[in-house]
Amino acid sequence: MWKLLSGLFFGWSLGANDSANIFGTGVATGTVRYRTAIGLTAAFVVVGAMAEGPKCMTTLDALSRISSMGAFFCALAAGLTIATLTVLAIPASASQAVVGAIVGVGLLSGTADLSPLYKVVACWVFTPVAGAVFSYLLYRIIERVLNRTVRSITRRNFLYFVGILTAGSYGSYSLGANNVANVTGVYVSAALLTPTAASWIGGMSIALGVLTYSRKVMTTVGKGIVPLDPFSAFIVVFAEAATLHVFTQVGVPVSSSQAVVGAVVGVGLVGDLRTVHLSTLGRIGLGWVMTPVAAGALAAGLCHAYTLYGRIQTP
Amino acid sequence: MLLDKLFSKGRKEQVVIERITEHIRLLEVACEEMRIGMEGGDLRRIHHVLRLEREADAIRRQIIAAVYEGAFLPYLRPNLCRFAENVDRVFDAIEETAYCYLEMKLPSSIRDHCLRIAFYNVRISEMLLISFLAMLRGDRLREKTLAVRIYEKKIDDLKLEIRRKLRSLPVEGFWEGKALSDFVTGLTSISDIVEDASDDLHIMHVSMR
Repeated sequence: MWKLLSGLFFGWSLGANDSANIFGTGVATGTVRYRTAIGLTAAFVVVGAMAEGPKCMTTLDALSRISSMGAFFCALAAGLTIATLTVLAIPASASQAVVGAIVGVGLLSGTADLSPLYKVVACWVFTPVAGAVFSYLLYRIIERVLNRTVRSITRRNFLYFVGILTAGSYGSYSLGANNVANVTGVYVSAALLTPTAASWIGGMSIALGVLTYSRKVMTTVGKGIVPLDPFSAFIVVFAEAATLHVFTQVGVPVSSSQAVVGAVVGVGLVGDLRTVHLSTLGRIGLGWVMTPVAAGALAAGLCHAYTLYGRIQTP
Repeated sequence: MLLDKLFSKGRKEQVVIERITEHIRLLEVACEEMRIGMEGGDLRRIHHVLRLEREADAIRRQIIAAVYEGAFLPYLRPNLCRFAENVDRVFDAIEETAYCYLEMKLPSSIRDHCLRIAFYNVRISEMLLISFLAMLRGDRLREKTLAVRIYEKKIDDLKLEIRRKLRSLPVEGFWEGKALSDFVTGLTSISDIVEDASDDLHIMHVSMR
């Protein structure tokens, strides 16, 4: 069972990092207290993981046949890649890291099946696009409805508060449902865990990351998006949650950070504002290439080194 | 805390709104008392203005405290506080004007102009209350903001005329002249600050749309 440790570490770091995409704006602006935010995030991540987590595990399972040691190295390589790219300030996606690691190990063992990869890569490309489209449409529709029905400033104030909490809870649910496959999906492929056990363990490790180490990232990310008004902040989180949920139904784990960036662009398009710099989009593009390649190379390298070490030990 | 906020159905916000409404109504009363006091030379009314300013100060403190205790979204709080501060600045200007009025005798050559400004000050403060209530309902503010600007422009025109007349007015000494100058400055600055407060309302209206 010690092989699960790398997955638990990976889940913990994913929870610490990605929870910022959900309640970051709410916490940084003081709309939601940090304790309330992490409590809601942790609870709904576990619920989402348990309810819909196994949906994305089948896609990862189809990419290659992985041994239990391979699963350990995949999660370790993905975790290390995310940590390194985060230090280099390149937006890294856990999904891309895990897929890269699985393909890397699969290519080394000769069991990689690249046919489902087209679907996965297409989903990665469409994640920010879907985020932008969702936020644009939601903004237009909800704004029109609110302007006709809720005009009082006190009611709007209450509605935005409830909206941010609801969208955040939905975002946490979607994060758990979509991203738990990244954390423990490889162990299901390696037959170390059943999908239910993997969802439970993965959800708990993400929740642990949210509860223990998310404050710093949450405040930093939130302050970067502070110029958003409460309505736009609500729309961005709602659009991100909807994007993750849609891709969960497709069965592909995607990046919550890239969904948020897309949603911010969509809100900017409504007001004809430039909310995201081209350099940010360039860094995302760089991350798309760097993350899977680096994780794949690292996972393959670790597996190869382990195999060589095994041969030396048993002549 | 979270459940309290969810189920209070905006109790804290209601308190802030009630206090701000009271604050602006008090401003209306102060402007009206100033006008009546100046019209009839009734110094008791002018002294009443000074008492109203102290009352308004207490209400301003209650508003700021309620806002910082968590009423409204943090996004709206700075604008709400700035609005309350601006209304309080109007009270400060009225107080200063009232003090100056007590220290001097209003020259007959500018009396009518000053009374007209005092009348417009009552109207502009009424318009501020109308704008505030319209903002709460989410109604259009454009016409109300425009009305405030028109009153402010009228007062500015009267101010120019008063200044022209003041130059040819003999004064007995420095302090008489200073009191008269401060009185005119105070009386004409009220509309400027009300206009600032009206702009705050417009910003709040736009930001919550």
